[in-house]
Amino acid sequence: MSERGLAGRLRAQLASWEGFLLLVVVLLVALNAVATPYFLTVQNQINLFQLSIEKIIVALVMTFVIINGEIDLSVASVMGLAACAFGWLFQQGMPAGLAVAVVLGIGILCGAFNAFFVVAVGLPSLVVTLATLIAFRGMARILVEDRGIGGFPDWFNRLGQQPLVGPFPMALLVFAVLAAVAFFVLQRTAFGRRVYFIGLSREVAAFSGVDVGRVKAAVFVASGLVAALAGLLYAARVGSVRGDVALGFELDIITIVLLGGVSIFGGVGTVTGTLLSILIVLNLRNGMALANITGHIQTGVLGVLLILSVMVPTIRGWAARLFGGGEAVR
Amino acid sequence: MAEPVLEMRGVSKSFGATDALKDVSLSLMAGEIHALVGENGAGKSTLIKAMTGIHRPSAGTILMDGREVAFRDSGAAQQAGVAAIYQEPMVFPDLSVAENIFISHRDRPQLIDWGRMNEEAAEIIARLGVRLDPRRAASELTLAEQQTVEIARAISLKVRVLIMDEPSASLSDHEVRRLFGIARALRDAGVAVLYISHRLEEIFALSDRVTVMRDGRHISTRPTAETTQAGLIAEMVGRDMAGRFARMPGQAREEVMLRVAGLGRAGAFADISFEVRAGEIVCLSGLVGARRTDVALALFGIAPADAGRIELAGQAVRIASPKDAMRLGIAYVSEDRRRLGLALGESIAANITLPALPRYTGALGRIDRLRELADAEGFARRLNIRAPGVTVPAGTLSGGNQQKVMLAKWLNMAPKVLIVDEPTRGIDIGAKAEVHALMRALAGQGVAILVISSDLPEVLSLADRVLVMREGRLAGEFPGETATDEAVMRLAVGAV
Repeated sequence: MSERGLAGRLRAQLASWEGFLLLVVVLLVALNAVATPYFLTVQNQINLFQLSIEKIIVALVMTFVIINGEIDLSVASVMGLAACAFGWLFQQGMPAGLAVAVVLGIGILCGAFNAFFVVAVGLPSLVVTLATLIAFRGMARILVEDRGIGGFPDWFNRLGQQPLVGPFPMALLVFAVLAAVAFFVLQRTAFGRRVYFIGLSREVAAFSGVDVGRVKAAVFVASGLVAALAGLLYAARVGSVRGDVALGFELDIITIVLLGGVSIFGGVGTVTGTLLSILIVLNLRNGMALANITGHIQTGVLGVLLILSVMVPTIRGWAARLFGGGEAVR
Repeated sequence: MAEPVLEMRGVSKSFGATDALKDVSLSLMAGEIHALVGENGAGKSTLIKAMTGIHRPSAGTILMDGREVAFRDSGAAQQAGVAAIYQEPMVFPDLSVAENIFISHRDRPQLIDWGRMNEEAAEIIARLGVRLDPRRAASELTLAEQQTVEIARAISLKVRVLIMDEPSASLSDHEVRRLFGIARALRDAGVAVLYISHRLEEIFALSDRVTVMRDGRHISTRPTAETTQAGLIAEMVGRDMAGRFARMPGQAREEVMLRVAGLGRAGAFADISFEVRAGEIVCLSGLVGARRTDVALALFGIAPADAGRIELAGQAVRIASPKDAMRLGIAYVSEDRRRLGLALGESIAANITLPALPRYTGALGRIDRLRELADAEGFARRLNIRAPGVTVPAGTLSGGNQQKVMLAKWLNMAPKVLIVDEPTRGIDIGAKAEVHALMRALAGQGVAILVISSDLPEVLSLADRVLVMREGRLAGEFPGETATDEAVMRLAVGAV
C-alpha cells in the first residue's frame, strides 16, 4: 500500500466521492445552523426526515438496483398502487392489519413481474419498468379514481403521525433499520458482492458460476416489497390516499442514489454514499426553504450537484492527466 | 514491373513491450491477388490495421503511388482507396443493400435520390457478376451476400487496395467459388487484392504472389507458382528451435479424469472424443475459428453440448450451467480476460474468491474478510503476482499479472479438471514461463489439464498429448514427444 497510517487513510477518504459528500454535509449543516438557530433542534431534524421519509427508504433499495446494473422506474407507481390498494381493501371492509399484509404481497408481485420480464424474457429494465410505471399507476387510479379514501383506524394513523419510541416516528425507525440491513447486505455479504460483480460485468459473473438471474430477480422483488412498504407508510403519514400518491417520486429517488456516487452503469457505489446523499438533499432543501429560497431553485441546485456527481470519474481523469503519475482507475 | 499501388517500408508496430510488427516491407501491385499467410499471432491482423489507418506504425512508412501517406483513421484510408473486409461482414442490418453500399459517401447531396442510388448500386453489383436486389434489407442476406455488399461498398469508393481478411472462413464451397470470381474480377479491373486465408489450397487456387509472415516479421514474398504447400508451412512455422521451451517429462497417472465421447453442438462442433488423465496436460491445437473454445464452453456449461456424453472420473455427468461444472470440479480460465475473466474494477481479492464465495461466508451470508484477504495474499505470493496489495482493483495490474489473478481465481476452487484457454496470450516471456511452470506443478498434483492454445511452441513444450481441431472436428492426435510444428500445422490447415 502506498498510503499507510491515519493521515494517509484520511487523505484517501477525503479524495473519494464519499469524502467529498461528507464535506458537503458538514458545510450544509454548519451553514443552516448559523442561519437558523431552530435548525439543529431534534424536532426540526425529525421533520426534515419525515417529509421525505418514503423516498429515502426506497433510495436504499434503489442503490442495489442501480449497482446491479439495472434501473427500476416503477417504484413510485408501486408506492401509489400499494397505498391505493390498502385504501380500497380497507374500504371493502378488510381489517387494516390483514390489508397491510396483502399490500406487501402485492409489492412482491410487482417486483416479481418486473423481474420476470427483465430476467426470464431478457428485456432491458429501462423499458420494462417504464411500462410498469404506467401500468401500476393505472391500477392505482382504477382502484381509487379521483376521490380520496381516508378514515383509517386510529392505530394505523398514529403509527404514521406520532412518535413511536421517544421522539422518533415509526417510519424513521423503519428507515434506520433498513439502512443498517442494506449496509450489511451490500457491503458485507456474499449476496452484496455478487450484486457488484453483476453490475461490473454480468459475463464475468456468469463465467464465475454466479446465478445472475437469481440475484437480479431478488433485487427487483426487494425493490417492489420496499416500495410497497413505503407506500403504506405514506398512507399512514398522510391519513388518506389518492390515485396520484407518490407521483413522480422515482426521479427524486434516482437522483439521490446517483448523487451518492452510484454509477448509472452499475458496479460502483456504496450504501454510505447514498446515506450521505440523503443528508445533503434533505439539508439543502430544508436550509433553502428556511432561507425562503423557492422550490424551483432548490431543484436547480440539486441538478448541478447531480451532474457533478456523474462527472466524478471524468474530473479524476483530468486531474490524473494534469498532475501525471496518478493512476486513473476507470 | 509496374509501380506498386501501396508499399510498406520497414513498418514496425509495438504495443507496450510486445513487438507485433518488426520492420515489415511489402508491395502490392495493381492487378494482382497477393496472398498473406502466417500462423495465428504472426502479425497479419496488425499489418492490416496499419494499412487501413486503425493502427499508426511505430516506425517505417506507408506509400501510395510512391507518395508517403499517414491515414488518420479507417475512414481516411477508405477515402484514399484502401478498404478491408473481414470474416464477419460489417453491414447495418436494418438498412437496404444500396444504403449500405453508399453509407460511407460523404460528398453526396443531403437529399437522397433513391431511384438513382438503387440504380448505381445495381450497376456496381452487376460488375461483380452477382445478382442482388439493392432494395433488400441487409439482415435478410446470407453472410456471403453481406460480404458482396461490403465489397460493393469498397468499389463505390473507387477502391484501389482491397484487403480480404479470412473472407472464406464461414462460407460454403459454392459461395467461396463465387468469392473467387469477384476477387478475379477486381484484379482484372486493376485493383490490388490482399487475400488472407488459413486455407492453403485457396492460396494456390487464387493468388499470383504469396507473402509469409512469422513472429511479426516478413519472411518471404514469391510468385505462388514457385512455391509448394510444404514450403509455405515450413516457412510459417520454421522458427529458431533453440528458443523453444524445454520439454518436461509427463506426469500423467492411470486414472482417466475427463472423458468426452461424440460430443457435439449443432452449428459449432461435432463428434469430439478424447480423454484427459489425472496429471496429464492435453493441448487442443488448431487455427482460430476451429471451434476449440466452443468445446471448452460446452464442458463448462456456458453453451452446453447437444450430443454425446461427458464422463468425470468414470461417472457420466450432465453439465447444463457453469454451476454444474464447478460443482463437478471443472474450472475454465477464459481467453478473454477483460470481458469474461476478471471484473477489472473489483479488487484482486474479490476476483479471486468470487467462484468460491460460499466457502468464505458465515452466519447471514457474511463474508469473512480476513480469511479472504489471507487466501488472496497467499496466491499473490505463490503465483508471484506483482501488485501493491490484494485490495487494489485488478484493472491496475499488467496483463501478465491479471492472467495470474485469473488462474488464482480458479485454483482457489481446487479443480479436478482445469481448462485453460490461451493461457499466455499477450503476456511477456517471463510471466509465460511462470504460467507454464505453474501448470506443470498442478499436473504434478494430479489435476487434469486441457490447454487451448494457438501458440505452437507453447503446445509442443507443454503437452503430454496434442489434439488438433479443424473446422469443428478433431483432425488428429499426437503424443507430445513426437509432435512437430509441421505435423500439427499440416492437420490444422487441412493440407494433404
